[in-house]
Amino acid sequence: MSESTISRRAFLRAISDSAQHSLVVLSLPSMMLAARQAQAAQNSARSLATLNTDEATELEAIAARILPSDGSPGAREAGVVYFMDNVLGAEREEVLPAIRKGLSDLQAIANARFGNSMVNALSADQLDTLLREIEESSFFATVRYLTIAGMFASPEHGGNQDEIGWRLIGFEDNHAWARPYGYYDAEYMEQGE
Amino acid sequence: MAQAEYSPSEEVDFVVVGSGAAGGIVARELSMAGFSVVVLEQGPYLQLSDVTYDEWAVNENEETVWGPKKGHPQTFRRYEHETAQLMDNAPLSYSHNVGGSSYHFSGNFWRFRPIDFMERSILGEIPGTNFADWPISYDELEPYYTKVDWDIGLSGLQGPWDPPRSRDYPLPPMPVKSSGVLLERAAKKLGWTAYPEPHAILSQTYNGRAGCIHCGFCLGYGCEVGAKSSTSTAMMPQALESGNCELRTMSTVARVETSANGRISGVVYWDEAGVLHSQKAKATVLCANGAETPRLLFLSESNRFPDGLANGSGMVGKNLMFNGSTSTAGMFEHPINAYKSVPTTRVIHDFYSIDSSYGFYGGGGIDERHLSNGLPMSFAMRGSRFTGASWGSDFKNQLEREFTHSCSFNGHSTNLPLSSNNVTLDPVVRDMWGRPALRTTFMNHPDDIATMQFFVDRSEELMEAVGATNITSRFAKDGQTGGSHLLGTCRMGDDPDSSVVDRYNRAHEVPNLFMVDGSSLVTGGRGQPTMTIMALAFRAADHMIQAARRGEI
Repeated sequence: MSESTISRRAFLRAISDSAQHSLVVLSLPSMMLAARQAQAAQNSARSLATLNTDEATELEAIAARILPSDGSPGAREAGVVYFMDNVLGAEREEVLPAIRKGLSDLQAIANARFGNSMVNALSADQLDTLLREIEESSFFATVRYLTIAGMFASPEHGGNQDEIGWRLIGFEDNHAWARPYGYYDAEYMEQGE
Repeated sequence: MAQAEYSPSEEVDFVVVGSGAAGGIVARELSMAGFSVVVLEQGPYLQLSDVTYDEWAVNENEETVWGPKKGHPQTFRRYEHETAQLMDNAPLSYSHNVGGSSYHFSGNFWRFRPIDFMERSILGEIPGTNFADWPISYDELEPYYTKVDWDIGLSGLQGPWDPPRSRDYPLPPMPVKSSGVLLERAAKKLGWTAYPEPHAILSQTYNGRAGCIHCGFCLGYGCEVGAKSSTSTAMMPQALESGNCELRTMSTVARVETSANGRISGVVYWDEAGVLHSQKAKATVLCANGAETPRLLFLSESNRFPDGLANGSGMVGKNLMFNGSTSTAGMFEHPINAYKSVPTTRVIHDFYSIDSSYGFYGGGGIDERHLSNGLPMSFAMRGSRFTGASWGSDFKNQLEREFTHSCSFNGHSTNLPLSSNNVTLDPVVRDMWGRPALRTTFMNHPDDIATMQFFVDRSEELMEAVGATNITSRFAKDGQTGGSHLLGTCRMGDDPDSSVVDRYNRAHEVPNLFMVDGSSLVTGGRGQPTMTIMALAFRAADHMIQAARRGEI
């Protein structure tokens, strides 16, 4: 909590207002800062059940290159790693050994290439270079799958915190709609085509 | 009235296997006519309060469409000389619950048209295929289409685009979406007609059920308010209220029992705990779908029926058809939000039958949809439809715009019936009950592929006509690898040598056995078969009732 200068509630309000009413109440950099701080505050209260801290840090670093925090919140702010931790101990426990093996292989490449065996210590460019090299591997495919699922699955599974993934793409978690649904049917209603 | 309770040792009038699009109707009709009915359903009876919008559970963890994760593996191969491979998902995909796939369908209810029933006579033989006329005509089925409209609950608009109908739709069509407006504008420019999609979804309150709230989660999901005209909502409650019908859920049929006189004595099934029971019945009705009905017939082989029950024709499992499908995506300047409301609101049927001068057989329709049925996770999983980016900043930036600003024009089309496309028992892989797994062998006829290409071409013209950018198409150029329309595998016909059931869905070889589901279809229609499955079910039930009253069952 030491870094936090904005409450989680205030952050949510800010995100919510800007997403729903197009009111930019905070500048983009300050929104990003708020998002990171809110996430840090929230994550500090969450614990891991399946992954150890190092594994979680490493997987989160990879997830953050798949859905980066570049101008809008990404995998890190959505708490994708907590989704991973959850499903790797449950519905996807069968892939946990392959994830661990793939991670240690990647760390070995990182060590050989950059003299650093922790991928979260690499620069974004260095990590992107490594990930492009293993893009076709089943390890990368699985981490990508889990990252996207953690970003866009229902928050009840541990990721997509505060519906960050859904807000990103404009999916509103409402489940009851009336016309107009979009621009063109609004126009159609007005013009009576 | 409470649902009936029968003892398994008691002989009931009918045992119905499966409670889906057909089984729910058959159970309702028979029980309301006063016959004693036991329905066996392998899945649960999900209620409105069980409806979930959880994409992780439904689309990634087999919540309703069971596959290998739930103990129901399936195998697939292209050709009969190959060894089928175990698949990650179920190639033959259907929802395991009361209502069957009508629980999770999106209710696009096109009637077949007069041409569908007599196309072989008009076009002639298509060499190498089992292309055939139906034994019944559109006119014979029309009263039952109308019964579907009114008893199940349909929304639509009668018009010059319709096949002949004896009565109007009970409810007005669903409101048009932005994607529907775009398809309609495009069609006008090209001189074609986009008309309101008919839906088995209530646009208003009807028969004590609520109208649609436009949640957007039709395809793959249950309906939270019961506006979707699933048999679980529209039929099964009435069957149970009749006091003559007992529904046994989580009950998986192992075998249909043939007695020494060649008649069916009933079925043997597992309850949820794996305990075997038998249910005796005067007649047995298999409504297990186009995959499970033939599998059950194969599993019910006997000395009298060594190649599978009622399979003297050798046609059980053959002629598997899915309907072709294509998707042509485009980006637009303004928000479309196609993830809201029903998947599609306009359809073009100007190419129901493609002119034979093109040199191939086929036809179908074009409607409009969200790129991923409105599902956020499925959308992102596939990567950018327009740039191919699948991770990183470019990917993320694309997702931000594509989800709301794109839609696709989708073709739905014909599959030709072939002996080499079939459902059989896998010789190696077994399911959780120890039964041989479903094995699919499937490779499209070249005309299926040509037809899909035709619809891609028309869809791209439509996208261009309405000013879409980044137009891109995809379809199974190398052949389809599965589907959810499971058709043709116990085809109907007058000739016992080339068909499995007669014109009233009765097995040619067994007088007290009926097969009523997608397996009965002689041809697969143009893309939306469930309306016809339901009409056939009403018609078959009608004839079962008459035959039973005459003492002929």
